Amino acid sequence: MEVLTSLGHGFAVAFAPLNLFWCFVGVFLGTVVGVLPGLGPAATIAMLLPLTFSMPPTTAVIMLAGIYYGAKYGGSTTAILLNVPGESASVVTCLDGYQMARKGRAGAALGIAAISSFIAGTVGVIGLMLLAPPLAKFGLSFSSPEYFALMAMGLAMVVLLAGASMVKALLAMLVGLWIASMGIDLFSDASRFTFGQSELLDGVDFVIVAIGVFALGEVFGNMEKRGEGTMLPVPKGLRNLLPTMAELKACRFAFLNGSIIGFIIGVLPGAGSTVASFISYGIEKAVSKHPEKFGTGVPEGVAAPEGANNSETGGAMVPLLTLGIPGSGTTAILLAAFILWGLRPGPLMIQDNPELFWGLIASMYVGNIMLLVLNLPLIPLFAQILKLREYFLYPIIFGISIVGVYSVSGSLFDCWLLAVFGLLGYVMRRLDYPSAPLILGLVLGDSMERALRQSLMMSQGDLGILVSRPISAVMLLLTIALLFLPLFRKANAWRIKAIEENG
Amino acid sequence: MKLRSSMVIAACAAALAAAPAWAQFKPTKPVEFIVHTGPGGGADVLARFIAQVVEKENLAPVRFQVNNKSGGGGLTAMAYVAEKKGDTHAIAVFTGNWLTNPLTRAEAKYTVKDMTPVARLVLEPALVAVKGDAPYKTLKDFIEAAKKAPGTMKQSGGSITSRDNVVRQLLMKESGSSWAYISFPGGGERIAALLGGHVNMMVVEPQEAGEHIKAGNMRVIAQVSDKRLAGFPNVPTIKEAGYDIPNVPQVRGIVMPAGVAPDVLAYYEDLFLRITKTATWRKYLEEQQFEDGYMKSAELTKFFDVYSDQMRGILKEAGAKVVR
Repeated sequence: MEVLTSLGHGFAVAFAPLNLFWCFVGVFLGTVVGVLPGLGPAATIAMLLPLTFSMPPTTAVIMLAGIYYGAKYGGSTTAILLNVPGESASVVTCLDGYQMARKGRAGAALGIAAISSFIAGTVGVIGLMLLAPPLAKFGLSFSSPEYFALMAMGLAMVVLLAGASMVKALLAMLVGLWIASMGIDLFSDASRFTFGQSELLDGVDFVIVAIGVFALGEVFGNMEKRGEGTMLPVPKGLRNLLPTMAELKACRFAFLNGSIIGFIIGVLPGAGSTVASFISYGIEKAVSKHPEKFGTGVPEGVAAPEGANNSETGGAMVPLLTLGIPGSGTTAILLAAFILWGLRPGPLMIQDNPELFWGLIASMYVGNIMLLVLNLPLIPLFAQILKLREYFLYPIIFGISIVGVYSVSGSLFDCWLLAVFGLLGYVMRRLDYPSAPLILGLVLGDSMERALRQSLMMSQGDLGILVSRPISAVMLLLTIALLFLPLFRKANAWRIKAIEENG
Repeated sequence: MKLRSSMVIAACAAALAAAPAWAQFKPTKPVEFIVHTGPGGGADVLARFIAQVVEKENLAPVRFQVNNKSGGGGLTAMAYVAEKKGDTHAIAVFTGNWLTNPLTRAEAKYTVKDMTPVARLVLEPALVAVKGDAPYKTLKDFIEAAKKAPGTMKQSGGSITSRDNVVRQLLMKESGSSWAYISFPGGGERIAALLGGHVNMMVVEPQEAGEHIKAGNMRVIAQVSDKRLAGFPNVPTIKEAGYDIPNVPQVRGIVMPAGVAPDVLAYYEDLFLRITKTATWRKYLEEQQFEDGYMKSAELTKFFDVYSDQMRGILKEAGAKVVR
């Protein structure tokens, strides 16, 4: 009951015209930077920070948070339409979203992404509202061994992302792990695989690899088939622009899965939304009745990762607001902003600043509705881009990709790197190597290695630390189960075949 | 808003103290203000704050335009500044990393020796903290515990070249004890490791620790600072706690490209002296719990040498590969 009263006060704050207006500005800007690849919410918030100094702190927080969760909505648009991941968390959306677009279901894919984002975003806020203090404690019980187990579980997803050949998937994953190891090693300050280039000291930005391998690789691959008329089928009529009831029904579990997985992983300061989207996609595929169809454009394959990366926002707000611990680049800048206004997120924030805490939560409910209303009518508009002939479309994709990469670092070296990874993506496509395992290795490699080395430093070199802690032991068991899943499926298929033959 | 009212006061103060323009050189176009982090990073926040002070208080005839040259662990920005040799309209924020990173990185083409030191601005103190319910009430308690069981105590921190590790190395050498150092990339993760009880101690910035101390989740056992901070009058500095180690400040200041005429250097030197005298700047130092570390160009040049030598020794002891 107390929660409801507080929430009521929160809504009173959120519905103040000034706050409502800036909430809209925030989610709108968020959608825009989400749609544009490269420029992410972190840089946007940092650049707009000075503008907010003249606002009341609550209003400013409402707007900046709007940018943060709004960007997660926008990220799926270019992923689905052009195979260009708008931000890191939407890489997984490319897998099935772009395939749906190729089948003429672009509108449906965008619709499912928006609806899933809305549901999961709202679930994330509910979680934040009801569970924040106890969950924050749970987050703290996670340390390096648990993160290692979580990352191992994520990496085991490779068996689910593999296409026809497991060997090729594993090779792609190893390349991803290798790229992840480039740059300065945190523990020894030694540089690895930099080839004497100071530009490589910070490692290779994940966005460059993702855009290169997915977007440019796809364009190169399509250009080769010149004359075959590869123009994508354009959805016609309102009915084709929205998901059908059957598609929505297929996503029932994915909505729930994405919401819960995203929120839990969001609460952990060391994981991140890309990991959340990969894991929820993997779970969706693992429990699906038709796992073989994943990657060919199934709506669940869009709903699960999109949901996860939106509900992750609510989760990430838990350690930020209740402990003052940021889990990602964006939340770190939000924390810096809080401090600039003299607000101190931490254990005392809910008591000391109830107006801000509850106002923010209420504004996130409102913002999620705004985003849904904002995004649904834009779908037909965005889908029009597929009407473009390829000689228009491809240069546009190239342009967006190059500008996106350049806007992250302002470095021409990174643009060359983009070209290299574009070619890599093309070669992988030609030789039938799946690209998702490469990205998976790249996303997890760095944090997995770090977690392992931290664990071993904690235990003075004893590997037992990984299995003697209950949470990490359970996750490692799940990892092993996951690795055996394909074998089990194969055995099952044989068994059924044998029964059929006998019968 | 506190910040705004202070700016008004500062603007008045600046108007009263309208400084004499004794230098011949004056910038004629916007000054490029280079930082090695992306928007929102520590150096970026400082540069944008300075640019704002210059504009609001009319301290220079032109604007200061922040240019983020991130990447390469800071080396990209350093190379950018060094290659601007002779440019009178470019300045950059340097941090301790600019001095340490070239020591261990063979990829570095330049060091601060290839630039003109302008002014040192701030020293960032730090606190030695343990978990709120830990048995250690003083730094001595912690070090004695580490002596009893060598290698079992743990500290969370950043890279091994960071100040956190330097303080540890110095303390271990001085006291003859040893404990493990576990690197985490983000400040949040370091604090989470301490609060979750996965490590025993950390060196933390007062800003970051404030709320955790207030809530009783974190206890400060010593200060990494020359004199006690205003916010922690009852906590001894490391020296006062009985460990005679040199103070290791986190330092930030301004450099510019090499090959500029003395009057150009004098102009910027004077400009930054005037910035540090504004009320806005004072307030900023107080809010951030920084110490005033102002130093002129000549002193700063000596400081660079002393600091680099000290770091070289410490890094070698820490087992890092020193290349220069």
